[in-house]
Amino acid sequence: MVVLREGMCPGLDEALVRDLRAAGITTVEDVVSSDIEELAQRCTVSYKALFAIRRVLLAQHAAFPVSGADLYEELLSSTAILSTGNPSLDKLLDPGLYTGEITELSGGPGSGKSQVCFGVAVHISYQLKQSVIFIDTTGGLTASRLLQMLQAETSNTEEQMAALQRIHIFRLFNVFSLLDCLYGLRGGRLQQACVGGGSVKAVIVDSVSAVIAPLLGGKQNEGMSLMIQVAGVLKTMAKDFNVAALVTNHVTRSVGGEVQPGLGASWSHIPRTRILLERQERAADISHSSVRSATLIKSSRRPCHIREQFDLQWWSRSKEESSGKRKRDETGS
Amino acid sequence: MQRSVFSLSLSPSVKRKLVNAGFQFTNDLLHLKPVQLSKEATLSQLEALEVLQAVRKEGGGGDAGASSSLTALDLLQKEQDLRRIVTFSSQLDAALGGGLPVGKTTEICGAPGVGKTQLCLQLAVDVQVPQCFGGIGGQVVYIDTEGSFLLQRVVDIATAAVQHCSLLVEDDEQRVAMTTFTVETILSNTFLVRCHDYVELLAELHLLPDFLSDHPRVRLLVIDSVAFPFRQHFEDLSQRTRLLNGLAQQLIAMATSHNMAVLMTNQMTTRLRGGQSQQVPALGETWGHAPTSRLLLHWAGSRRLAAIFKSPDHTGATVQYQITSEGFRDIDQSEQTHTVQSTASQRDTGH
Repeated sequence: MVVLREGMCPGLDEALVRDLRAAGITTVEDVVSSDIEELAQRCTVSYKALFAIRRVLLAQHAAFPVSGADLYEELLSSTAILSTGNPSLDKLLDPGLYTGEITELSGGPGSGKSQVCFGVAVHISYQLKQSVIFIDTTGGLTASRLLQMLQAETSNTEEQMAALQRIHIFRLFNVFSLLDCLYGLRGGRLQQACVGGGSVKAVIVDSVSAVIAPLLGGKQNEGMSLMIQVAGVLKTMAKDFNVAALVTNHVTRSVGGEVQPGLGASWSHIPRTRILLERQERAADISHSSVRSATLIKSSRRPCHIREQFDLQWWSRSKEESSGKRKRDETGS
Repeated sequence: MQRSVFSLSLSPSVKRKLVNAGFQFTNDLLHLKPVQLSKEATLSQLEALEVLQAVRKEGGGGDAGASSSLTALDLLQKEQDLRRIVTFSSQLDAALGGGLPVGKTTEICGAPGVGKTQLCLQLAVDVQVPQCFGGIGGQVVYIDTEGSFLLQRVVDIATAAVQHCSLLVEDDEQRVAMTTFTVETILSNTFLVRCHDYVELLAELHLLPDFLSDHPRVRLLVIDSVAFPFRQHFEDLSQRTRLLNGLAQQLIAMATSHNMAVLMTNQMTTRLRGGQSQQVPALGETWGHAPTSRLLLHWAGSRRLAAIFKSPDHTGATVQYQITSEGFRDIDQSEQTHTVQSTASQRDTGH
């Protein structure tokens, strides 16, 4: 539904808009669905003129088909697969984060969602030399941890600082400021953000559930609508600007005690790939193990329910031991 | 893509009126005047003005959103400027990376009597240690929901802290600072709020931003405990989860905008899984995401242990501590096997 305005297409002048409005026609939808012949009589406009206006409006607002071959061509030229920097996760994601898609990480408290997000941000900004937008809604982001991860990659301070400058951070704590920010990025601020060198390749939202969950349930249904708004703008942004969107989600426990991602069934259709992170259950009450398991629960590329183990220490490892560790990781998985 | 009016921060009834009048996207509203809009969408002029301001802010003002963006480098510098609140236990400080982080939320979970409130009281005093002694010289807002705020304990801890600092005085600056760091000033810089149920707690948190603007030196907010008011009077658990999620976002927003540490305590509950019982923090799985870091206090025989269970910048660690008459302290390395009481008395005579 778009409101009719003068100058939207040739022939649609102020007088005509007024006449149409008097006849109860205010939106493009009304024009398209009304009987042109009858309308022409009521508004005393020529049938031909109205018909032309309708054709232009239809052409302006309709979607048009694209051939699969063209689409494939475009896909090959524009899609990038961004490595997460962690071989086990890459293996699960076959073989990384795809641009133009939403990937979701869900998991309980302390399961390593934020750590994976930090790792991905650092890997993209340092190894791939591209910009990253990090939207922090839980206050969990600490730059000192990013620095720690960078220090594990390089000892060159200048490179560390340059990499930190390629990570752009938004700290937003409610859904409306998140929407403002996403629409702002969508409306062109995304390109402005890449002034510091390298284009924006990933948008990370940690966590999307923190701002949406307080609105869901109860008698109000506004929360659902806002959730779909967030999903919509994330999806179109990912597609139009060819960025990978990485979001995190909390988990809930079903009646049977099984862990499942939060935000309900409607949200489950939004991410293309979903990964569930879990702590390794140990006999001891509190384990300080940094090993986490990642389970693929939704994917269009690989069979679901594949499980991989990875170590959160991976991103803070020092360069020298990395080769040995990689070997161990490969045999382990 | 056009932005739907539903995504604007307006009241639902206003949004419904807009859509009924045919305005589904913000673009349709950009060229309108408030009077026109109020007539077409049957809104009051004030509402119409509000709508247009919301639309313009989103559409035209490129700076409105961009100002909140900063690079990780800026954030790093900001973080390094903020000092942490020391706990008076060097081991716990080390595990936390120098003390309680300012601008973040931290939760302390633990069984009754393990020392949650003691740590809260200790930090309420510690936040006031003058800057020249390595403190941050702030004030504290202490929200007490359980009625466990014991003034006598605060006086004990404050006396010990003042005494500790007076022993460290070396230069004139510190001598001057000591004149304003007394038990009286510590007490007058502590703002105690007693909340009896969750409605009072939520109401208090809504009013707190104004209070913080009037008192810019507040660096610590303690809620002891967040669990107590939320573990009673709730029939609808999903409503509880929703309120708690909202509360968490409010707290972290306040912590970030006022550069303030938020410290909450939580109780423990028993979860049955596969025939085994396990002690887990209360308030459910979702609440676990709320605090930035989580500290678990527990008993191991007669020893008290503090474990970092969740933290964005530190790996898990477990340290041992003791509660003495002076407050929350390290355990003496050589006395690890002794009981808490005996080491406490030894430390007393040692001073």
